[in-house]
Amino acid sequence: MSVHEPASMQPSGPQIRGGGLSDASRAEIDGLRERYPTSEAILLPALHIAQRQWGGWLPDEAIAAVAAELDLPVAKVYGVVTFYDLFHQSPVGRHRIRVCNNLSCQLRGAEEILEVLHQELGVGEDEVTPDGRCSFVHFECLGSCDTAPMMMVDDDYHESLTPNRVRQILKRLR
Amino acid sequence: MAAFEPVLTKNVGKPEALTLKGYRQLGGYEGLTKALTMEPDAIIDEVKKSGLRGRGGAGFPAGMKWSFIPKGKDKPKYLVCNADESEPGTFKDRLLMENDPHQLIEGCAICCYAVSANTCYIYIRGEYVKSAVILEQALKEAYEAGILGDSVQGSGFKLNMYIHRGAGAYICGEETGMLESLEGKRGQPRVKPPFPAVVGAFGAPTVINNVETLCNVPHILTHGADWFKSIGTDERNTGPKLYAISGHVDRPGTYEYPIGVTFREMLDGAGGMWRGRQLKAFIPGGASAPILKPDQIDIKMDFDTVAKAGSMLGSAAVIVMDETTCMVRSVARLAKFFNHESCGQCTPCREGTNWMELVLKRLEHGEGTESDAQKLLSICKNIGGQSLCALGDAAIGPVKSLVDRFPEEIEQHVRERACPFPQPRYFENGA
Amino acid sequence: MPKVTINDRTVEVEAGTNVIDAGLKAGVLVPHYCYHPRLSVVGQCRMCLVEISDGGKKMPKLQTACSSYVMKDGWSVRTDTPEVAEAQKGMMEFFLINHPLDCPICDQAGECGLQDYSFKHGVAYSRFQYEDKRTYPGRERIPLGANVVLNMNRCIQCTRCIRFTEEIAGTGELGFFNRGARVEIGTFPGRELNNPLATCVVDICPVGALTSTRFRFAERVWYLDKKPSICTGCEVGCNITMEQRRGDIKRYKPRFNVEVNDYWMCDYGRASFERYKQQPRLSSPRLAATNTGWSQALDAVHSRIAGAAGGEIAFLGSGFLTTEEAYLFGKLADLAGSQNRSVPVDLGTEWTIPRHQRPPIKGREAAPNRRGAELAGLGGGHDLLDGDAAARCAVLVVCDSDFGKAAWDPETVARLRKAKFLVVFGWADSPLAQAADVALPVAHHGEKDGTFVNVEWRVQRFEKAFPPTGQVRPAVEVLSDLLSRFDAAWAHQSASTVFDRLAGELPAFAGLSWRRLPATGASLHVPEAHPKVSDQAAEAASEATA
Repeated sequence: MSVHEPASMQPSGPQIRGGGLSDASRAEIDGLRERYPTSEAILLPALHIAQRQWGGWLPDEAIAAVAAELDLPVAKVYGVVTFYDLFHQSPVGRHRIRVCNNLSCQLRGAEEILEVLHQELGVGEDEVTPDGRCSFVHFECLGSCDTAPMMMVDDDYHESLTPNRVRQILKRLR
Repeated sequence: MAAFEPVLTKNVGKPEALTLKGYRQLGGYEGLTKALTMEPDAIIDEVKKSGLRGRGGAGFPAGMKWSFIPKGKDKPKYLVCNADESEPGTFKDRLLMENDPHQLIEGCAICCYAVSANTCYIYIRGEYVKSAVILEQALKEAYEAGILGDSVQGSGFKLNMYIHRGAGAYICGEETGMLESLEGKRGQPRVKPPFPAVVGAFGAPTVINNVETLCNVPHILTHGADWFKSIGTDERNTGPKLYAISGHVDRPGTYEYPIGVTFREMLDGAGGMWRGRQLKAFIPGGASAPILKPDQIDIKMDFDTVAKAGSMLGSAAVIVMDETTCMVRSVARLAKFFNHESCGQCTPCREGTNWMELVLKRLEHGEGTESDAQKLLSICKNIGGQSLCALGDAAIGPVKSLVDRFPEEIEQHVRERACPFPQPRYFENGA
Repeated sequence: MPKVTINDRTVEVEAGTNVIDAGLKAGVLVPHYCYHPRLSVVGQCRMCLVEISDGGKKMPKLQTACSSYVMKDGWSVRTDTPEVAEAQKGMMEFFLINHPLDCPICDQAGECGLQDYSFKHGVAYSRFQYEDKRTYPGRERIPLGANVVLNMNRCIQCTRCIRFTEEIAGTGELGFFNRGARVEIGTFPGRELNNPLATCVVDICPVGALTSTRFRFAERVWYLDKKPSICTGCEVGCNITMEQRRGDIKRYKPRFNVEVNDYWMCDYGRASFERYKQQPRLSSPRLAATNTGWSQALDAVHSRIAGAAGGEIAFLGSGFLTTEEAYLFGKLADLAGSQNRSVPVDLGTEWTIPRHQRPPIKGREAAPNRRGAELAGLGGGHDLLDGDAAARCAVLVVCDSDFGKAAWDPETVARLRKAKFLVVFGWADSPLAQAADVALPVAHHGEKDGTFVNVEWRVQRFEKAFPPTGQVRPAVEVLSDLLSRFDAAWAHQSASTVFDRLAGELPAFAGLSWRRLPATGASLHVPEAHPKVSDQAAEAASEATA
């Protein structure tokens, strides 16, 4: 290269347009625009919507799609996704289980609940069962300390758990 | 003491409260109706007079906070309701939102009218899906009935109220962390000053109040500040208070008492110690509150008394521990929580909470040394008062109290090179 | 303007000045990492904690100096109390517990914020004995782009680099990922840090987390001799520090000049010294393809010029000449009776350097001193690169064999070679120098004194960083020798005497002198500039290439 060649000024890497978001997702995001004075403020709701579309997690293409839709730098959106515990960057099971083991739940047997899940599902924390059905993690306080031990399966709380109750709940998950 | 009539939880257990019609029949929206006949400043004065202090953890006088909002019309004003409830041991706001959503909406509406905020965001932690669904339904009804929208109850005051779901971060319960998250960014607290009353959401003056704080407001308007003041310990600790009690008690749950109920009374009200065990320690106000010992069993659970005893009432999340509990293991778990939740911006919290978790883990696993206790205190000293936000100060609360009040447990861990308290099994035969 | 007292020294500052800047004015350094005068204040590193008393009443907690603004009289700040020292010790400990002991292999050693403050404010032992340091496996040497390498283990999470890409470069490639102790900087997977100012993040990184690919392991900084100079990449003329060891230039770093480039420079400019190493040097005068001495070579040039008609002698200038060299070439042309002189306009990429509270400065010409060269005496002639212009010359003096991109083009060389007698001054033994009848080795800008006039008509002075080797001499000396063969009064000239002379003669430079030229340069009196010199030449050239 001759000494007079300028350094490249084009951004490299895959150029991803907003084509990744479905029409339904886009419509839902558009419906929120009137609620906020800035486009940036729609980001958290938009990520929830995108995560739902992508089956419970956010691959890089989903992140790039949301960034393009809201006209935000993709590094910024990536920073937001990696900050929050409810946004996942690796595949999850069809059912996502979060077991609180913070102090109040630990005082009432949360560790044993985690053991049961490990036994019944045959995988460790943050791993997906081979049939893609479930994944589980321990979690921080979910605000249900009076019904400890408890866990969250998808959007629902399951409270006052015992090992048998956990087994019953797992049986119902498809 | 005279039997206390619940105020905040009076509609809990009444399914009709979930509908607008039912809520009204139970006396709801009277406070808002009254407020709309008053001058905004008069509402603020009434709330000030009532002595209502923030129920989210800081205990800052609500009326004073409202009065900081500038009166000028050049910038929009916002109310952000803090429904991020993530302090370990706290679950009272969830109870209020899932059982009496209109009470919160009414409180928010009155506050908005008082500070001339035309937009209110209810920032609900992302995990509270049921609360969000119930509140969305209640908001829909409120819009349809003209309680929200272009003219609140025909008054000409425009008010839009929206739910903004979080995505799993305790630090978003910090005022400016919440504002950052609302604006679509990482929930990293801001340098203060400027304070939210001057530069808040989207650069505009903003009030941020906890769910329970706002739920008190309709009742203050309906029954008056004097009535509110008549409940509680003294003029600095007034009103009804929700106490969320969990851990080793027979009937964990949310209990409403006049603020300043003694811990003993509260413990009895929750059925006493679980399985007839002995009280070893209790946390009066959530994970950030220094741990108290049984000698404090008669302590009045109000802001000032608990502070004087070397702890804090905080969110009034009471966690009770019996004699089978290892204090080191418990504090290690809390240290892990704070390390996980630290946003990572400032050096003392990012590095210090990480270090404290590692030291406590070592202690718990029998790899502690004699210098660990003093080292923990030294780390606490280097974090306290020097971090960017209060999470640093919160993180050192339990650790300091462990070293100060349970030194013999630490020594035992070090001496025996193992945890002297076997992990209790709660379920027989995997049942 | 409010007054503030810092460690018993009182200064007056503009309202809104923060305590760090006020401290600098008072001569007190408040240690800090995340604060930078051109970036937003974040108050994250907590290194700048100080004690502030307002009207005699001490504030209950230590305050971060970066976010404490002096608005009124009455503040007294102390950075020397035991409490502040404890806080500084505590922060240094926090910074170091997870920091790798990489000093022996880290570029930053010798200019490292952690080393410096550790020595001043830290303790000499570690209490982090029984735990494992936090690491970022796989992130120890990540290229963030072509020019910057990241070692995430060394990062102190000050976020200067992120704020730079967002606020100064405006490209936002860097972000802050994860939360808490796992927090890290980086780019979105698959994207690169490649804006034109990318390497500036290496300058502002206080530690060795961000290093320059070009400079990695190149030299220990304490072996570098550092001389203020000017970048020759384009007409902006960013102020730089030329850092070299024994004549081997290792690094350019931007030098603060609020009038020109503020704190920044572009990556292209940073690389521009490489050109001096990529070509063989012309190390000896050459006459008819044979090495010879200076006297013989200059005698040959003198006799050819003296023997030719003025109308057949031409001088092809260069935007790389210093003003003084161009002036002397102009005098040579005058003595030769030639009006045939020009400076080619060499257009390249437009580089934009942001500045503080004023529009950015932009440079499109790929040479530092076309304006100075034209002003000083080489302007206003015919385009000597056109068609047969060179063929009509009895003597063609190419004042700089590096006059632009065209100088390396074989067609251009062939066209210039058509002159009957070709004299080439240059630092490189380029094809043009090899085609010359007389090739004269002269110093490049690291080896001589001189001035350049930038795109905004600012004259900036630089001095030589190291002496040339072999028989290479600064062109001003060579021209002085050559001119003295025509007129003895021109003997013994140096850049300073020549500048003072041209300042007396050219209205644009009126009132200036070499010794008193300010460090930030001086604005020329542009209306008095040579009437034939303007940016129209540049516009014409750009239209021609459009």
